[in-house]
Amino acid sequence: MFRGIAIIALCVCAGALMRATSRTRADDVATRAQKLHFSSIVVDTHDDTTQRLIDGRFDLAHRDASGSIDIPRMKEGGLGAIFFSIWMPSKITGPEAVDRSLVQIDAVREQVRKHPNDLVLATTVTEIREARKQRKIAVLIGVEGGHIINSDLGVLRSYAALGVRCMTLTHTGNTEWADASTDKPVHNGLTDFGKNVVREMNRLGMMVDISHVSDKTFYDALAVSKAPLIASHSSCRALCDAPRNMTDQMIKDLAAKGGVIQINYHVGFLSQEFRNDEKLHPEWEQAIAAEVQKRCDGNEGCQLIVGDQITREYVAQGKLPRVDWNKIIEHIDHAVKVGGIDHVGLGSDFDGANMPYGMEDATKLPQITEALLRKGYSESDVKKILGENTLRVMAEVERVSRELHSAN
Amino acid sequence: MRRILALLCVSSCVLGAAALFARRSNADAVAERAHNLHFSSIVLDTHDDTTQRFFSKDYSLGKHNPDGHVDIPRMREGGMNGIFFSIWIDGRIMGPPAVQKALDQIDAVHEIVRIFSKDMVFCRTAEEVRRAHDQGKIAALIGVEGGHMIGNDIRMVRVFADLGVRYMTLTHFYNDEWADSSTDKPAHNGLSDYGKDIVREMNRQGIMVDISHVSDKTFYDALEISKAPLLASHSSCRALCNHARDMSDDMIKALAAKGGVIQINYEKSFIDEAYRQAYDKETGGVVNHLSELTKGCNNDEACISREMAKLQQKLTEEGKLPHVSWERVIDHIDHAAKLVGADHVGLGSDFDGADMPEGLEDCSKLPKITEALLRKGYSDSDIRKILGENTLRVMEQSERVSREMQAQN
Repeated sequence: MFRGIAIIALCVCAGALMRATSRTRADDVATRAQKLHFSSIVVDTHDDTTQRLIDGRFDLAHRDASGSIDIPRMKEGGLGAIFFSIWMPSKITGPEAVDRSLVQIDAVREQVRKHPNDLVLATTVTEIREARKQRKIAVLIGVEGGHIINSDLGVLRSYAALGVRCMTLTHTGNTEWADASTDKPVHNGLTDFGKNVVREMNRLGMMVDISHVSDKTFYDALAVSKAPLIASHSSCRALCDAPRNMTDQMIKDLAAKGGVIQINYHVGFLSQEFRNDEKLHPEWEQAIAAEVQKRCDGNEGCQLIVGDQITREYVAQGKLPRVDWNKIIEHIDHAVKVGGIDHVGLGSDFDGANMPYGMEDATKLPQITEALLRKGYSESDVKKILGENTLRVMAEVERVSRELHSAN
Repeated sequence: MRRILALLCVSSCVLGAAALFARRSNADAVAERAHNLHFSSIVLDTHDDTTQRFFSKDYSLGKHNPDGHVDIPRMREGGMNGIFFSIWIDGRIMGPPAVQKALDQIDAVHEIVRIFSKDMVFCRTAEEVRRAHDQGKIAALIGVEGGHMIGNDIRMVRVFADLGVRYMTLTHFYNDEWADSSTDKPAHNGLSDYGKDIVREMNRQGIMVDISHVSDKTFYDALEISKAPLLASHSSCRALCNHARDMSDDMIKALAAKGGVIQINYEKSFIDEAYRQAYDKETGGVVNHLSELTKGCNNDEACISREMAKLQQKLTEEGKLPHVSWERVIDHIDHAAKLVGADHVGLGSDFDGADMPEGLEDCSKLPKITEALLRKGYSDSDIRKILGENTLRVMEQSERVSREMQAQN
């Protein structure tokens, strides 16, 4: 009897010991991941948080119960540089679009002015690295949709002067000079003016962002641009067949010219299953849209957040499939295999899309680093994905801009 | 006889030449002093409408143009080494279209400065203006002429500041949504509450508050609210020419008491009372005239300036408008300086936006102002103040107020 107890005790001890060893191993990776993540410059090239800043009730300084981004959560998740997106629906055009974009740009810049100890406006790689040294979050500005320049290169230049360093050539609808991936083609890609927009962006040192554009627009931009392109928030079409994602061939061609695909975390772009179910039940999408309208009225910041919340309710009810954050890793891994390690980055679409389970907000970002380490990625490769690839494109864009200026 | 004649001739020639030489030498001494003083000073003009011409194919900033008042060769010739390019659109264009048009003009200034970067450099601060001067470059600055261009949105004040705008005239010829103009019927009794917030935000952003064009009540409201000294970027003295666009002696005194500067405008109808009366009789006044030209020119601003100059020339030739000498500009400078001291007077030509008096046809003639002031007995140091240092002082004070307010955030 005693012996029996002793054996049981031994077993328990041995079990505890084994658990301890495996925990140590796990902890090893976790510790390495933690160190690596927080010593890297983590850059996110697409966040729609700007919409929340406009009504003045939301402030980045306070941890918010909803949404994905604020200063405390960016710090917790080790997010070092963030592109705030300037966006409005494609149907808003003309001077009104320009006016609204300035209000949004100002809202971002005001946050930087209000929180100088945590945030700093950055327009160059040097400034991002300097922000890092000062333990501040680098704030960058990207315009999401060429319709926002109202076909006016003077406006484009004004955006550059205000610090905009990236512009998506379209949003969901075609602009007057470029076709979108989710609209009927009318320009066969980029018009001549559209090509001039790309050239002017090169001259201004603004990254040409091909997320949202049609495949033909992508290829036109790739041919015209003297600097590498980025897809600020697009995933892989091979894993999820959405027009917003990139085909393997597009990823290869983007990479061949030095560009980077920044993986989007939106469940509808990550999971074929989710996308299929969405397609099968268009009435749900309509119902979600109606509910969003009801809860938010016209407030776009609210709409983006509440859309994500209601989608989660549908998932909880079993109507839509639950998509796990690991899907992000699958897309990163696929893009790396197709385009190479130097050509993949992160473009969350936080506060503008439906986040997968386990990636609800910026605090969850260290999981990506750990997952990639566990997959066998080297530390240097992980750093590239977290931000260095994006910084390389930015540096290249800056170099091209300097060259074009001196050639003038 | 011939010898005597020859002697007489020689001696008279020598004597005459000597007398002539002595006189010229006296004259030359002042002229030379003036020349040296002028070309070693920062000559900063706070109001030029040349921006409108940047959109015209017929104009190049880099060459000597046959018309207009300002280009780089003439700025070099006239020693004008600092210029506020004015952003202006008709005061009846409001809302988002006004904002976008303003953006286009701001961009045009930045672009042209970039193109002519050998001669010009864009400046945002007094220190940058001084640095430009040290490098032998012309300092280019931006002023927005009319609060209507912010589209009734205080946030655009910040956007303009970020784009390099360093002063804003609170109105143009018409009231805007928050301030009364001197040439419109009062609607806000000066500045509205929102207008006061806008002045505070301008202080916070380091944008100088420009009270040219505003109603007297708006001026006094702005004076009370503003934490930084005010600028009248292009206004003259009402005591000498009774135009609503000019400032009364009381206003000039109140402006000066708070450290501000009146920048004398060279427009004939603002500096010469006889001309003003004749001009009003012929055209119904500048606001009415401009409004008619705007219609006739289909909003083409370069056309408006051209047509205005043409008509004024014609009326002057016909004797319907009197001749006005450039010396009236000196009278206004002197009046303001006598009234409030040399620390509160500067130059705001209104080149390329107004009708210039005879003798000050373009910016190449600016050294005459320096010489005339010297001859009037002004000290070198006072003249430097008038030419630019006073404006730089107001800029520096605006920058200081801005830093203080931003630190309080």
